[in-house]
Amino acid sequence: MMRAADRILGIALLGLAAFVAVQAQSFYVPFSYDPVGPKAFPVGLAIILALLSLVLILRPGPNGQWPSAATCCRLVGVLVIMGVYALLFTRLGYTLSTGLAILCLARSFGASWVKALVTAVVMAVVTYFLFSDVLEISLPSGQWLTALS
Amino acid sequence: MFDFLIQGFDVALTPLNLGLAFAGALMGTLFGALPGIGPINGIAILMPLAYTLGLPAESALILLAGIYTGAEYGGRMSSILLNVPGDAGAVMTTLDGYPLAKKGMAGPALGLSAVSSFIGASIAILGLTLFAPLLAKFAVMFGPAELFVMMVFAFSSMAVMMGKDPIKTAIGAVLGILIGIIGVDSGTGVLRYTFDLPELYDGIDFVVMIIGLFAISEILLMLESRHNPAGEAEMPVVGRVLVSMKEVLFCKAAMLRSGLIGFLIGVLPGTGASVAGAVSYTTEKRLSDTEGTFGEGDMRGLAAPEAANNASAAGAFVPMLTLGIPGSGTTAVLLGALMLYNITPGPMMFTEHADVAGGLIASLYIGNLVLLLLNLPLAGLFAKVLTIPRWVLVPAIAVLSFVGVYQLHSDLSAIYLMLVIGVVGYLLRKLGFSLATVILGYVLGGLMEDNLRRALSISGGDLGILWQSGISIGLWVASVVILIGPWLWGRVRRSMQA
Amino acid sequence: MTLIRSLRHCAALTLLGSALISGQSLAAEKTECIAPAKPGGGYDLTCRLAANGLLETGLLDRPMVVTYMPGGIGAVAYNHVVGVRSDDENLIVAASTGAAVNLALGKFGRFGPDQVRWVGALGVDYGAVVVSADAPWHNLDELLQDMKKNPGSIPFGAGGTVGSQDWMKAALVAKSADIAPRNLRYVAFEGGGEALAALLGGHIKVFTGDLSELQSQLEGGKIRVLAALSDERQEGPYADIPTAKEQGYDVTWPIWRGYYMGKDVSDEQYQAWVDRLTELDDNPEFAKMRADRGLFPMHKFGPEFDQYVKSQIQQFKDLATEVGLTK
Repeated sequence: MMRAADRILGIALLGLAAFVAVQAQSFYVPFSYDPVGPKAFPVGLAIILALLSLVLILRPGPNGQWPSAATCCRLVGVLVIMGVYALLFTRLGYTLSTGLAILCLARSFGASWVKALVTAVVMAVVTYFLFSDVLEISLPSGQWLTALS
Repeated sequence: MFDFLIQGFDVALTPLNLGLAFAGALMGTLFGALPGIGPINGIAILMPLAYTLGLPAESALILLAGIYTGAEYGGRMSSILLNVPGDAGAVMTTLDGYPLAKKGMAGPALGLSAVSSFIGASIAILGLTLFAPLLAKFAVMFGPAELFVMMVFAFSSMAVMMGKDPIKTAIGAVLGILIGIIGVDSGTGVLRYTFDLPELYDGIDFVVMIIGLFAISEILLMLESRHNPAGEAEMPVVGRVLVSMKEVLFCKAAMLRSGLIGFLIGVLPGTGASVAGAVSYTTEKRLSDTEGTFGEGDMRGLAAPEAANNASAAGAFVPMLTLGIPGSGTTAVLLGALMLYNITPGPMMFTEHADVAGGLIASLYIGNLVLLLLNLPLAGLFAKVLTIPRWVLVPAIAVLSFVGVYQLHSDLSAIYLMLVIGVVGYLLRKLGFSLATVILGYVLGGLMEDNLRRALSISGGDLGILWQSGISIGLWVASVVILIGPWLWGRVRRSMQA
Repeated sequence: MTLIRSLRHCAALTLLGSALISGQSLAAEKTECIAPAKPGGGYDLTCRLAANGLLETGLLDRPMVVTYMPGGIGAVAYNHVVGVRSDDENLIVAASTGAAVNLALGKFGRFGPDQVRWVGALGVDYGAVVVSADAPWHNLDELLQDMKKNPGSIPFGAGGTVGSQDWMKAALVAKSADIAPRNLRYVAFEGGGEALAALLGGHIKVFTGDLSELQSQLEGGKIRVLAALSDERQEGPYADIPTAKEQGYDVTWPIWRGYYMGKDVSDEQYQAWVDRLTELDDNPEFAKMRADRGLFPMHKFGPEFDQYVKSQIQQFKDLATEVGLTK
């Protein structure tokens, strides 16, 4: 299992190397003042990468433990939370989207509903003032706020 | 000859300016501690404010210099405590800083990094005071050819990081270089691997890269360890919070060497704190890691990059003050601030605006002292971050990452990219890669390619330019020595024993 | 004691600062300037120039927010305005000659210069041809005559890639002496500072930079500015620098710093911005702010500026085709 991971990685990297090299051929260079040009480096790296991946496929080493299927689902869950957070970041505005994201993240890291809710409200509001008033960073205020006012 | 410095201390020690240095140091620490919001942003944001408030030139500069130094101190905190580098210079700090925190040594680690930062900065400020005009001449001697060989040296010294798994170290570096290639080619303007996405034209931003690779993957790893019965327990904080004198003395050679290396690299145009951290760490590992403890929480492995990145931050002032050429992005912003006050740094700076130059150098001294005094006793307080329950810590990391990237790009695609890079970072870590080598490849690879091609355009394709100057030859020799030296030394020793 | 007093100073300053930033009347419109780059660059300066100027002269009573939107050498911001905020009447975006070059080369994706409304330019900088003080050339003619003999023998350097506005300066100078730009020996650096360092170190022989970034070098006596790429000589520290034109080479390179807005902004709102910037431009206090930032006056607003940008883009397009830069 562990060795298999290295083999899969090796094959994937071999594919990447091929892609890098092929893609480099399509660069349109009207003219270049240096004799090396923009293609040489990527192609050279692709060759090195291909050789290294071959070694990896032939002599895979042990690597870390992989999470169970259930944990994998949880990992995907956290990623989805962060993806949705990004999606809502400008639409709902900073405070609301951040509050929601904190609530969900705190829950997935084992906080009770009450604790998660308190954390979400406090952190969202405090960081908003920290960022916008102390550090002068412009944060999205959200379309709903402008619609209200 | 040091009239300007005495004059400078006179200026810097007025109550208002002392207060500003203090306020700047605190603000800077805050800016630096937040991933993605480094000194550049801090200064760019506060500069107009200082101008609007009508502060005199030297006061504004003192405030901004305080922010600059403070950010260097702040940047290491998240490296040590969370394994998330706060800025470019703090990447190498994670290598030994985080393992130390894991061992329950967060307090001493923070203290030591404050001491090393102070030592590194002191070396650099001393160098700045004594040799600035001389060093400016040294800096411009580094042309593209010399900088290319410098990168060859940096990659050779990276070989020491190949320790356990040479293949994966090499693959990591290659992947990093490939990521660095994405975007407009700086030589010909050709777009490389951008897939017609304008968001990728400028390449993958450094902040997006480190926040994704380190912070997002860290969140995923934390979640995994929560559901893994054999996983690590929550981190303990051991009672001791102060770094001991013995520990500081143990690292003194590492600090002095790295401070010097960092300063010299900081002086060069086009290289910065990340290169300084990398070269000093790998050099130190080469020189003193006899038991193979670097990377597992060796105090010297923490002291080296910390001394170096602070030294390089101060070193970047040399070309700025003497030539009017900014040595880093942050000094470029500072240069802009000076221009606002009708002061144009350059060869005449030390004679025509002695109060400003002296005041700036004096405020660097004072800022660093303030930061050392602030950071030593507060190390225990900062270490408490580790006792924050995960359900508070993780949302906080997520929010900081989002804001850090958003305020730089005002664009959601950068955030999505950060998440994708986070997944890649997680997979790489699970597969046993060191993220530091990926980052080093990313930083050094671009410099290496650009400078090689610049050198060859200057010479019209003649490879001879790469070993034309004494500096290049010296660096070639150093590269060979650092690659095969230890192996040769081992053989000599064995044959002597036999 | 002194410490406490100075802390109080600081506290007062901070309070004052936040009052300036957030304490203004909420009724006023919230205006925004997008700098299509990271903090600290030329676009940041362009936005800050408008923001500080409008605030200090009282033309706006709430500070204009400056937002950073790097990516695609300005393309990300351009696409954002065209696609998402084309009717936002409170938004201006910083632009420069560099943006016009990129538009001409089609680097802003499928959108052309007609997709936005060009408001005006508050300042301009000019290109310059620089050599080191010990170089054998004392005027532009000597340099270009030398180059004609063997164009590839003198390494030029500047802070941008082939096709960037920095390269254009070198290319146009060469062209003015009938030297094909592709026969140059040109080295692309990351920003003018690095190129200047390479010139001082003797690694390149000629640097095509901007006048404003040379200000600090003029007194130092380490460089020699052979020509300013402006129509007329500039004043102050630049008075001794001859233009390329007066030396018989017809090449100018203004680097304007201006703004555009979305295409669907109403004529009244567009005109309001044009009037606001024109009034700012006439203010003597603002003239000092502009000079502090190393910029010269430009005096081009509204339709005149719009025309100017579009004809400039056409000119760049022709040049690009001529030297074989675009397919």
